[in-house]
Amino acid sequence: MKCTSANPLFLFGVALLSLLSTACSRYSLPAGSPAYTEHRIDGSIAPDTAFIAYYLPYKQQLDAEMNRVIGHSAVPLTKPGSVPETLLGNFFADALLTEGRKSDPGIDFSFGTKGGLRTELPKGGITVGHLFELMPFENELVILELSGKSVRQLAGFIAATGGQPVAGLRMVIHANTANDIRIGGTPLDDSKTYRLLTYDYLANGGDNIRGLEAPVKRVNLGQKVREALINYVQDCTREGKQLNTQLDGRIKLDE
Amino acid sequence: MEGSNWMNRRNFLKAAGSLTAGSALAALPYAALAGSGEHLQLTILHTNDVHSRVEPFPMDGSRNQGLGGVARRAALVDSIRREQRHVLLLDAGDTVQGTPYYNLFGGKVEMELMSKMGYDASTFGNHEFDNGVDALAGMITHANFPFLSANYDFSDTALAGKTQPYTLFRKQGLRIGVFGLGIQLDGMVDPNNYRGTVYLDPIAVANDIAARLKYDYNCSLVICLSHLGYRYAGSQVSDQLLAAGTRHIDLVIGGHTHTFMPRPEHIRNLDGAITTVNQVGFAGINLGRLDYLFERRSGKKQLLTAGSYEISNDLAFRPTGALNPYS
Repeated sequence: MKCTSANPLFLFGVALLSLLSTACSRYSLPAGSPAYTEHRIDGSIAPDTAFIAYYLPYKQQLDAEMNRVIGHSAVPLTKPGSVPETLLGNFFADALLTEGRKSDPGIDFSFGTKGGLRTELPKGGITVGHLFELMPFENELVILELSGKSVRQLAGFIAATGGQPVAGLRMVIHANTANDIRIGGTPLDDSKTYRLLTYDYLANGGDNIRGLEAPVKRVNLGQKVREALINYVQDCTREGKQLNTQLDGRIKLDE
Repeated sequence: MEGSNWMNRRNFLKAAGSLTAGSALAALPYAALAGSGEHLQLTILHTNDVHSRVEPFPMDGSRNQGLGGVARRAALVDSIRREQRHVLLLDAGDTVQGTPYYNLFGGKVEMELMSKMGYDASTFGNHEFDNGVDALAGMITHANFPFLSANYDFSDTALAGKTQPYTLFRKQGLRIGVFGLGIQLDGMVDPNNYRGTVYLDPIAVANDIAARLKYDYNCSLVICLSHLGYRYAGSQVSDQLLAAGTRHIDLVIGGHTHTFMPRPEHIRNLDGAITTVNQVGFAGINLGRLDYLFERRSGKKQLLTAGSYEISNDLAFRPTGALNPYS
């Protein structure tokens, strides 16, 4: 703490001490009494073993399931803030699109929110536990058939929020608006309808997404998002592949 | 860690000494006061957004590796309880969701561990609703402490009669009133998962309950457990707006925004009095602590100290210095 008059902390300290001074005189404290001591603990305090003993049986059951390595990633799947496209977001949206198309090959694109991705994934072994932490929620896959106009609204939301996880859709963000929107490589046509794969939390109004409010049709697939992610990783492993997600410019910033 | 804290402490005292040379204020005799019979010291410990973090974060190179975990938090709380006679252990919601403990066991493990640790009260965050309101009603049967919820009307749900808006703690004649506030669930939680729950304006509810706690129950300290969030860019109600827009709340223990506040914020409320807001990050990485000293006869109080412990192998306390916002 530097004691310069320009430092607000210093001024705050002066104010506090004058208050303390007032308080002390009110309580008529004898000078030189022992100071109030903060509780201080060093590394020698041991964890309470009764607590570990309590959760150990649960932990063993959980670890047996969670520590199962189901795939490998060649790159760390990260989600740095303030960029329109992330490796984690691409992995997530690619996985959903691939899994959704097993139920309906006519699905055009997938969409989720970056806020819904709760952890990053490391390079190397991917466990069931990683995917639980990435998607702890019990959300289930939903197909929404949307008008082209609704998709344009959704793209506008994605642009206004600085990019969100998508697959099958490409766009350029310019001045917080969506431009050059392409679905499956073709420019968005307002007169057509498109099939979006997303999940119930978003389809039911979560995160206040624009464009999802009035679908032409809705199909609940009854499959958890997390299960879809697990299947996707396992399928890659079965095919002898590592996850090797890349940034491909699906959402670009035009500045 | 320990060393740097000592340095901070020393620098603080040095600064204090230089300001008050000759006034003998560098050593403040609170310990003597608290044991004097005329005064009572209350230690408030708090967490928020623990998110099912039962074990410490795994040692995998990530930012929070090795931090948190219930066993060390329990040991710390226990040692503070052995030192301080009057302790309240409070939580501001989102106790669950975030590790597979919740997915596999539905919150039973978290509730039983919090009960075992002696939590005095918690409130509902949005994630308490993640398995639906019926599952939540079942989950809280594993808790031996109340979930305080003043601004959700659960009358038409399975939670009817299973929560309470506020509770009172009596500490040697002094009363401490604690109530809970939750966030707007619309757009935050799947409507199927909170069906039947009616959200009430938190500011109106808070003013009503805080006045009752202060005047009807004669509480010397009124605490709000809030899952509203610390602050927002827009007009969404937050702990900052709550503090400024109400009367009679002394302390808001916040959550939801996972804000780690290095020191509490003191906000002038509608009466021009101080409402203190504090929040300590998430995942049980930190345990917040505020110590109040009450003059028993008048109920007048001072905030003696505030800070937080980082739950690591060092278990270091980061004091923010003695803070007394009350004039």
